[in-house]
Formats: sequence, C-alpha cells, structure tokens
Amino acid sequence: MDENKKIIHVLIAICSLFFIIVGYLTYIQLFRSRDFMANTYNRRQFKIEENTARGNIYDRNGVLLAYSEAKGGEQERIYPYGSLYSQVIGYSSKVYGKSQIEAAYNKELLGVDDLSQVFGMVSGSNLPTRKGNNLYLTVDHKLQALGGELLNGKKGAVVAMDPKTGEILALVSSPNFDPHAKELEKNWQSMVESPDAPFLCRAVQGLYAPGSTFKILITAAAIENGLENKVFDDSGSIVIDGREIRNSESKAHGKIDLKRALAVSSNVVYAQLGTELGMTKFTDITNRAGFEMGIPFDIPMSKSRFPYEKMDKTDLAEAAIGQGKILVTPLHMAMITAGIANEGVMMEPVLVKSITNSEGKSSKEIKVNRLGRIMEADVAEKIKVMMQEVVTSGTGYNAAIKGINVAGKTGTAENELSVKKKAKEHSWFVGFAPAEDPKIAVAVIVEYEGSGGDVAASIARKVMKEYLSH
Amino acid sequence: MFCLLYNHQKGPWDEYLILIVSMLLSVGLMTIYRLNESLGLKQLVWIAVGLGMFFAFYHVYIKVDKWDRFAYVYISLCAALYLVTLILGRNINGAVNWIVIGGFSFQPSELCKILFVFFLAAYFKNPDNLFLTKYIQDERLRILLNRALLMLVVYCNIGLLVLQRELGTALLLYSTFLVVLYVFSKDLKMFLINSAFIVPGVILGYFKFYHLRVRVDAWINPWADITDKGYQITQSLFAIASGGFFGTGIGMGRPDMVPAVSTDFIFSAICEEMGIFGGAAVVLLCMLFTYRGIKIVLGLKDRFKKVLGLGIVTMIGLQTFIIIGGVIKLIPLTGITLPFVSYGGSSLVTSFIALGILQVISNPRFDRVGGEADG
Repeated sequence: MDENKKIIHVLIAICSLFFIIVGYLTYIQLFRSRDFMANTYNRRQFKIEENTARGNIYDRNGVLLAYSEAKGGEQERIYPYGSLYSQVIGYSSKVYGKSQIEAAYNKELLGVDDLSQVFGMVSGSNLPTRKGNNLYLTVDHKLQALGGELLNGKKGAVVAMDPKTGEILALVSSPNFDPHAKELEKNWQSMVESPDAPFLCRAVQGLYAPGSTFKILITAAAIENGLENKVFDDSGSIVIDGREIRNSESKAHGKIDLKRALAVSSNVVYAQLGTELGMTKFTDITNRAGFEMGIPFDIPMSKSRFPYEKMDKTDLAEAAIGQGKILVTPLHMAMITAGIANEGVMMEPVLVKSITNSEGKSSKEIKVNRLGRIMEADVAEKIKVMMQEVVTSGTGYNAAIKGINVAGKTGTAENELSVKKKAKEHSWFVGFAPAEDPKIAVAVIVEYEGSGGDVAASIARKVMKEYLSH
Repeated sequence: MFCLLYNHQKGPWDEYLILIVSMLLSVGLMTIYRLNESLGLKQLVWIAVGLGMFFAFYHVYIKVDKWDRFAYVYISLCAALYLVTLILGRNINGAVNWIVIGGFSFQPSELCKILFVFFLAAYFKNPDNLFLTKYIQDERLRILLNRALLMLVVYCNIGLLVLQRELGTALLLYSTFLVVLYVFSKDLKMFLINSAFIVPGVILGYFKFYHLRVRVDAWINPWADITDKGYQITQSLFAIASGGFFGTGIGMGRPDMVPAVSTDFIFSAICEEMGIFGGAAVVLLCMLFTYRGIKIVLGLKDRFKKVLGLGIVTMIGLQTFIIIGGVIKLIPLTGITLPFVSYGGSSLVTSFIALGILQVISNPRFDRVGGEADG
C-alpha cells in the first residue's frame, strides 16, 4: 500500500530526529562541556561549596592544620600555619581550583561521598550549611614545623616516615607559598614565573641525582653477589674506559673492605663494584627498589628515573656512585632507607591516617600496605650495621645523636651548576634511628649546600632527635 | 503500575506501549519528586487522573460509534476552548493559555491537540470530501474549496496558538499537519504548498512578534544575552554539561538552578543527574514508542483510524523532539512539555487520552467502531 510506504518514511524521519538528538548530546559532552562548566555564569561550581563547610584537616595528634570559616555567605579556607603545609595540603581557590590533599580528598572534605547523604538530599536546593568530613594526616606537626624552620631560606626537602607503616611524619619542601586563596590569587603570576618554583613540591616531585646515598643499594647488590668480604685498593682515583672517577678531595683510603668503603663513601670502590656487577644485576636492584615505577601516593609523585637501555662501563661506574642519569625524589629515597630499616620491606607511603565525619565518627581508616621487598632481611641487617659505621666513624658523623644508634648515609650530588664550578653540590642525607628498632627514617636534601655530611646530616639529626625525644 | 491491570496472555491492548509509558512515567515522577516533593505527590495524583481518563476514553471510544462524522463538532469544540481561554485566560509564564478553575489551572490548548487530530482524521477519511459535499457538484471546484477550508481551519488554529504564545504547540500542530498531508493527501502538491508556508510564516513571525524573535536570538547566540534572553537555555546547557556521561547521581546535582525544570526543562534535570546516557535512554524510549505506534498504524485497515493513529503517534514523537531539541539548543526553544515525563496535569491527561485512543484502535476486536472497514 502506498500509504504504508509513506508511513515508513515518516517513521524513518522521526527516528532520525531522535538519533540527531543523541548525537548532539554526545557532541556537547565531548567538545563543549568543559567550556560550559567553566562559564562564570554557571553557579553550579560554587553552590555546593557555599553550602558546605569543608572538613578540617588535622595532624596525627589532632593539631588543626586547615579549616573553613563562613565569611559573608562564602566559605573561606584558613591555614593557621600559613605556608608550612602549602605543598602537602595545597590550596582551595575558586579561581585556581585545588591542589594536593585539598584536591585528592575533595569529595571527602565536602562530604559528598557518603551514600547516606544522597538520601538526605531529596530537596537539595534548600539545604542548611553542611559539614564535610575531617581528615587526619599522618604528619607530626612538631616535626613538620622543625623541618620548615631548618629549611628556612634554603631550597630543599625534608621527608620523615615511619619505616614500619609507611606513614609520612614530615614532608617539608622549600621554598613554599601562602596557600590562602586571596594571597594566591594576588601572587599567582609572579609565583608561576619564579625560577625558584615555589609550587613544586620538591619532596615528592623534585628529581635529584641521589649521589652517594645511592651506594646503599649498590652495597645490597654487592652483598647479594658475595662481594661482602672483598678487599679493595683505593688510591684516590680510578680511570674507567678513559673516564676518571675520583674520591672526595681525591683522598686515598688504601686497602679497605666494603664496610669501610661505605663509611668513607669511596667512589673508587663503588665505581669498580658497578662495573663488576654489570647491567643485569644493577637494574635488578633498581627495579626492586621501585625505580621507573608509579608509586601510589595521596598527592602527585614523580617517578624516580633509571633511564638506561644499554650501559657501558663508564655508565655503570657513574651510576654506582649515584651520578649519571639516575634521578630520585626525596620521598623515594626516604622509602628506600625505610625499607632497609624495615628488614628489607618497602612500605607504601601514606599521608592520610583516617577520615572522620563531622560528628567525629571514624568513617575510614587507611590501611597499611606493603609495596614490595627490596632485599632479604639478612642483607638489610648487614647494611644497617654498615650504615651505623657511616655515622660513628665515617662521613655522617654530624648525624650522631648521643645515646641513640643512628644509621645513615651522606650524599654529595653534582648538579648542572656544580659541574661548571658555579655553585656547590646538593647536600644529601638519608638515615634512620634507633638502629636496633627503627622508629623514624629520614631523607634530607638541601640544594647547592655542598657536602652531605655537613648541612643535610645535621638537619637529619635534629629531626630524628626531636621525634625520638617524645 | 499497569502490570496489575494488564493480563499478559491476551491483553486488550498493545503491551509494549504500556511498558514504555510506564518507564517514562517512572523516570519523570522520580525526577519531579527529587526536585520538589509536593510537586511529585501532585504528579502522582495527576497520573491517577490520567489513568482514569485513559480507561474512560478507552471505553467511551468503543461505545460511541461514528467518530468520523463529528468533524464540525471538533472544530466547534476547538473554537469554544480558544474562546474560553481568551475570556478567562490567565497569564502564566508569559503565555496566555491557562484557565484557572477552583485552584486548578488547566491548559485548553492541550486538549485542542487531540481535537485537531480527530478533525484531520475525519477530513482524510474521505479526502477533500468533507465540506459542502451536497451543494457543489463540480468535483474540481469541490476539492479546491475543501482544501481551502481545511487550510483555513488549520492555520486559524495555529495562528490562535501563536497569539497565545504557544509556539511549541503551534509548531507541533503544523508539523503533524504536514506529516498527515504527506501520507494521506491525494497529491504531493498540497504537501509542498503547505511546507513552503513555513518560510513566509517564520519571517513574518520573526518581525511581527517580539516573543518569537527573542526565541530565535536566544537560539543563535544565547551567550550574548546570558543574563536575560539566553538565561534559560544556558542554565539548561550548564546542567547537561555538569552531568557528564553518567550523571552526578540523583540528588547530587543542582538542576534546581534551571528555570521551569520540572516542566519544560525536565530533560536537563535528567541529563544532569543521570548523565546523557540517562537522557539518551529517555530519547530511545520515545523512539520505541514511535516505532511501536507506527507499527500499529501500519496494520490498520480503516482510513479514519489510520489517520488518527498516525496523527497521535507523530504528535507524541515530534513533541518529544521539539522540547528535547529545544533544551539542548539543537532547535529554537519553544515551551512545551515532554510527554509522560514533565510535570503538568493537562499535558499528562492529554497524553493518557491519546494513549487510550491509540490502544483502542490497535485492537482488531473493535474494528467496526469508528467507521466501516474498507479492506
């Protein structure tokens, strides 16, 4: 029937119209929604936040680190310790959004993750001001404040963690910035353009050559491969494939074993060890230690780099003393040190201890996770003994605390300016204490401050001492 | 809610249509309740009233024979409704198309939609042979006069709707008229002439009527006048954009920022909280409804019923397109409800009546009702 044919045409036409709608909706969502969302007339983006007092953030002992206050119908975020936590907690600004913990735990802080909230929101338009969830960080405020004080005016990072649980006790980066929204909006442009990079959280995103602190991993590989008792001849410098590698101040240490070589941080010995181990064993230990691995963390963390595809002898020698192309973040270096303290097992770093709702009921306890084993417990035990000697009779004497056995390793990392003799090296120290039952592991880096035995080691000592004294 | 009333084995009506409508009603009711509890409860009452009307019309249609003979009644009823609106009409949301009786507001133009389709069906039962059949012997003259009168009736209807600022309904009646012309008119000329009318119509309307111009301007660039003319449509787009693909979750979005969100803009609320997947699901349900309806129409032998069925199905399908296309800025926005989903008594009752008629004509048992079968 002719009419039926035409009716089919009508059906096709109407169905096409419907498909056009679905297509157009998809187009809006894929290509236009970002513009729409960011439109200043879209009150949606601020409305939820105006109705919600963002939750408080506390340190592990309940010290208030961030809270919200209603001012003129708007919620203002206040950070009582100013810039001290700017790179840990971050900021919360209408203009520039949110960063670090404020961003990662936005939903929790606004309290919109809870299913019970959904059913209470039937008429969402006329809600009274709600209160978001509170966060308890693993950070110890006393330690963080001390770290901030010690790094004041310098560039660098201090990381302290509990080696057994992976809890971060202090995460200090310097320079930092004022995270209050008003200040942020005022200073944004100049901070973005500043060569000091105040927004860079050096502790988790700064990538540095590890320098001699890397020798603890080479020591582990050496012990695993039976080189523990070998005696080396250290004449102060060595030429490997035409590249001369020298000790600090070209000092000759004579006939020394591995333990002594670590204590005096002999580049000559470790360069030889690197070439002896070869690339396979080298990458084996760096893989176990988590290089080139995305480590899960609450705030964005850089991957530590070990970008070698092929290593010749000079590469092996340079890498073994922590130079060359190897780059680590201070947090990762602290995790490796903590791994040795924790019988070879590296723990996943945690920054948030628990989340509680506004009535104080704990809604979520963060679990402690094993990240992986770097080395066997007996190897870790041997390195621990060697690292104690670094502090008692080696380069790390500045880290020694009276009455407490400290294990550590210094590092003096060359950088783009020190190579041209325009500045001093970066100063590193990693360590933990007490050696027999480690409670705290630290990694300290201070940029352009020279030998790790001086500045970094004494900062580490003060941090460890403070933590162990209470 | 239909399941209890409906016998799955040998139902007296098409079960798929019922299921699709149930789903649309549920989505709508849920969204309205979430937006405004008391409105949600009222909607529930309206659904009950609609159901009542559904059954009433189902049975009245069977009882009353000769629906095809009442062409003049449909026109007069339509005219009466418009007259009543002009006299008693209240201005609600910029459109003078409401009658308020005892606290209940009622939109007569909704009923006119049904009457309009009935009129078209009566006309095309025996095309171009409705008016003055007995007085004019010359066939060509009669056809010409009939067509002229048909157009007069149709465009008077549409014109009155435009005057009442019911642009959506006017557009809907016009497009339904074109569809019926396309399928049932004896020659294509009539369809082409009437299609061409939209060009002068829109141009005239654009310059003559301010409220029409505003709609078009807001469609072309709503961002230029975001605080007034473009306010509604941009707020709707914000809602859709904030929903993303999967939505914010029911109760988690802020669709209350969109004006008229429980009636015209309910689709934006659905998109915000259920995502465009939820929105697409609603569109696809309407498409299935259209498909199912057209399938019924294809099987009908009687011409009156065929026109009636096609008119109803087209009207519901196009109404969906016109309002959804409007709130997503695909076409200019014209205020009209989303059938079975939007809040609104008149709209819901009319949709239920339309559904009842569609169901009764889909049943071959009542084939004799409404005119003799010609097959």
